[in-house]
Amino acid sequence: MTKLKVNGQPQEVDVPGDTPLLWVLREELGLTGTKFGCGRALCGACTVHVNGKARRSCVTPVSVVEGKEVTTIEGLARGGQLHPVQQAWLEENVPQCGYCQSGQIMAAVALLKARPEVTDDDIDAVMSANLCRCGTYPRIRRAIKRAVQLSRGEMTRDMGGREP
Amino acid sequence: MSMDRRTFMQLLGAAGGGLMLGVSGGGCANPQVRKMTELAAETGEFQPNVFLTVTPDDRVLLALNKSEMGQGVMTGTATLVAEELEVPVSRIEPFHAAKPEFETSFGDANISVPGLGMQITGGSSSTPENYLRVRRAAASAREMLIAAAAASWGVPASACAARDGAVHHEASGRSTRYGELTKLAAQQPLVEEPRLKKRSEFTRIGVRRQRSDALSKVTGAAEFGTDVAIPNVARAYVLHPPTLGATVAKLDAAEAKGMTGVLDVLTFERGVAVVAEKYWQARRAAKTVQVTWRGGILNGLNTDALREAARDRVTRAGDHTMRDEGDVDDAMARDGVKALTSDYDVPYLAHAPMEPMNATVHVQAERVTVWAPNQSPTVMAEAVSRVLRVPREQVTVHSTMLGGGFGRRGVPDYVAEAALLARHFDRPIQVIWSREDDTRMAYYRPLATFRMRGAVNQGGKAVALAYRSASQSIIIDQAPVLSAAFPEWIPLVGRRMMARSNTGFLSTGSVADFIASEGATDTPYDVENIRVEYIPINTRLPVSFWRSVGHSFNGFVMESFIDELAHAAERDPVEFRRELLQGKPRYLEVLNTVARISGWGKPTEEGWGRGVAIHRSFGTIAAQVIEAGVFDDVIRVRKVWCAVDCGVAINPDVVSAQMEGGAIFGLSAALKQQINLVDGVVQEGNFDTYPSLRMHESPEIEVAIIDSDEAPTGVGEPGLPPAAPALANAIFAATGVRLRRMPFEIAWQDAKEAAP
Repeated sequence: MTKLKVNGQPQEVDVPGDTPLLWVLREELGLTGTKFGCGRALCGACTVHVNGKARRSCVTPVSVVEGKEVTTIEGLARGGQLHPVQQAWLEENVPQCGYCQSGQIMAAVALLKARPEVTDDDIDAVMSANLCRCGTYPRIRRAIKRAVQLSRGEMTRDMGGREP
Repeated sequence: MSMDRRTFMQLLGAAGGGLMLGVSGGGCANPQVRKMTELAAETGEFQPNVFLTVTPDDRVLLALNKSEMGQGVMTGTATLVAEELEVPVSRIEPFHAAKPEFETSFGDANISVPGLGMQITGGSSSTPENYLRVRRAAASAREMLIAAAAASWGVPASACAARDGAVHHEASGRSTRYGELTKLAAQQPLVEEPRLKKRSEFTRIGVRRQRSDALSKVTGAAEFGTDVAIPNVARAYVLHPPTLGATVAKLDAAEAKGMTGVLDVLTFERGVAVVAEKYWQARRAAKTVQVTWRGGILNGLNTDALREAARDRVTRAGDHTMRDEGDVDDAMARDGVKALTSDYDVPYLAHAPMEPMNATVHVQAERVTVWAPNQSPTVMAEAVSRVLRVPREQVTVHSTMLGGGFGRRGVPDYVAEAALLARHFDRPIQVIWSREDDTRMAYYRPLATFRMRGAVNQGGKAVALAYRSASQSIIIDQAPVLSAAFPEWIPLVGRRMMARSNTGFLSTGSVADFIASEGATDTPYDVENIRVEYIPINTRLPVSFWRSVGHSFNGFVMESFIDELAHAAERDPVEFRRELLQGKPRYLEVLNTVARISGWGKPTEEGWGRGVAIHRSFGTIAAQVIEAGVFDDVIRVRKVWCAVDCGVAINPDVVSAQMEGGAIFGLSAALKQQINLVDGVVQEGNFDTYPSLRMHESPEIEVAIIDSDEAPTGVGEPGLPPAAPALANAIFAATGVRLRRMPFEIAWQDAKEAAP
């Protein structure tokens, strides 16, 4: 049995220690928001947080996260409120096919935590690990900057579903 | 004869539509009316056509006959409904209709326009196809709801108006929600010819708004093919042969069979399947399976040799002349002209969507159920019906969200594979491919070679333009898929004959492959002497549709060579094109707009250069100016300006997003991607060997949408073709080096080594 905490909930899973965290999340815990893209930490679609830091769950054995806190895309919103990064993603209309976006958002949240005054160079350095075949990069860049402002309460929402 | 892909698809559809009218005109009661009446009696829901259902609790469900793969079709179609039904877009709930819903539930002649009997998403055709059809469906519903309210109040319908999901009688101040009217509306006569709103009356079409699928895609809730939760499903990993068509000579799976969760390891038509309770168990066990393969149909296929042969082949006359005006050879030989000959080539390319190929299939007695991310439930159902030898009407296909499509998910191999495996089990089976297999077993964009010739006169005008290409025919390779596109009620033998006759006259040369030269044959440039020739080449490696298809390479070749002619004439590339586009106001507007927003003609910083390209595909004209440079042998793309005329932009933000994504997809191919085979074995695999643009390489992109009253044309693909030539032209402007081979990162190294 491996004990871990996922999105604040204690969990115990009965799998071999070398089982990738990705599949524990998806198949043992039913959290399918975290995606399988490459299996080799090349695309970032499987990005989650382990103790607050971005990790590629497809190459992270579950034994490594024993006793640690794992956060997935499903655990980002709190009390019915989207995380500012998710909100910024909506406002910039970032997703196209959407398959990589859970990983993109998790990577961006971790980036902003480490670098609240994020620069373009920071975005290049960190987000280049996350692939998007739809080509949403320009919008991801804008959304990360918008998220900084949303977190500070500097920007009011627009396009949040309101319309004529 | 030339024919674009849409015309071809319309021909396919028209055959069906004609027959369909023949069936419904046979004197029987309108089945849609019957269905609508029955449903209202059972559930109280109002379903005036196959697209729309209004429920008593005011929900508006939109059954989509198109697949959402990122292009925004859910949002666009919901917007069309909202506009005519007078309901906020956010209240429309689009979902993928399961085949056979769309194939069997039509009787309403008003809605059953040609082509509707098949569910297929491709050719950037969804919005053009649905623009009037879906609005008509929604307007019909609106008028029936108004009629119902008017009848209940005893007032004329003309005194009532629909607004914000309710019918209002202004004179008395009364209003009733749609949900309260559903039963009564279903009793109104079906409205066949509703009034559609004029563009000046639009309040939702043309407005930038949040995508209908955005929230589910930022919370992880969106359900993709890999995510479907089917009770009692078992998971499978398939060990595919290393080369196409190889079969299992020897299998040692003893260890795997004893591993945790493993249900079976079996050889089947597609390779060796490791089936387990969980996917991670199947993957874990698969590592211990030893397979020896034999044979294969691609033995001896080397892309280097194929490319050399194809390069040689285009030095001689083409097999098919697609267009021939004036006399190119004579024009090039005249005194005083500058004549040019340039050879180009492009490699095979994989689609590499982020979600690897996958499908879930449950085979039961007289029933097969498929859950899969796919671009055509009709094609998937046909493929399953063929491989399992069951009637097509027994196959139901549920489409999930697609983690990218780009043409790949129109080919049914991965769904047929899951069906072939699932028939060995009495429970649903999900097959998920590895990333490596997704790359190695794609149906590639064809490798192609080109010889371009042309001439400019002393006045600097292009007087000759000749295009000759050699590539594999997608049409011939995809004949079985195309035959599946015919409606189900044409017997299979008839569908096959129709598909064969279409591909038959292509392969016999009476009509050459219009896809191979699309974007060249229909060049808008007014050049007096022009010739377009095509040479089909054959290999046993199958090819298929890849985002923007023939345009993906013909845009590159045509717009690079026009740039070569402009420089030979010592003229400004925009001005040179402008002269050749006189009398074509839509092209000129797009070209002038991209020149204006990019500040074309202004000096660039040291080391940077700008290139321009304009190309029409799928009815949409897109132009790009790219600023790029080469620094320490690294090609850098700094900025892309794009102008696009796609008619009415349903959601301008989705149009922009498609232009951005199309450009980046095109730049990935232009700079980095290639598929190579050595003795029939694909050399590339994961994202390290088949790379795409990443954040740090991605340019800033600015999009201008031309304001237009014209009917909408597609946007999913047209942003791609101008990217590669605009980049090649920018690199030439920056460095004086002309890159004529993709991928450019390799072409640049080759050019550098070749330089003295």
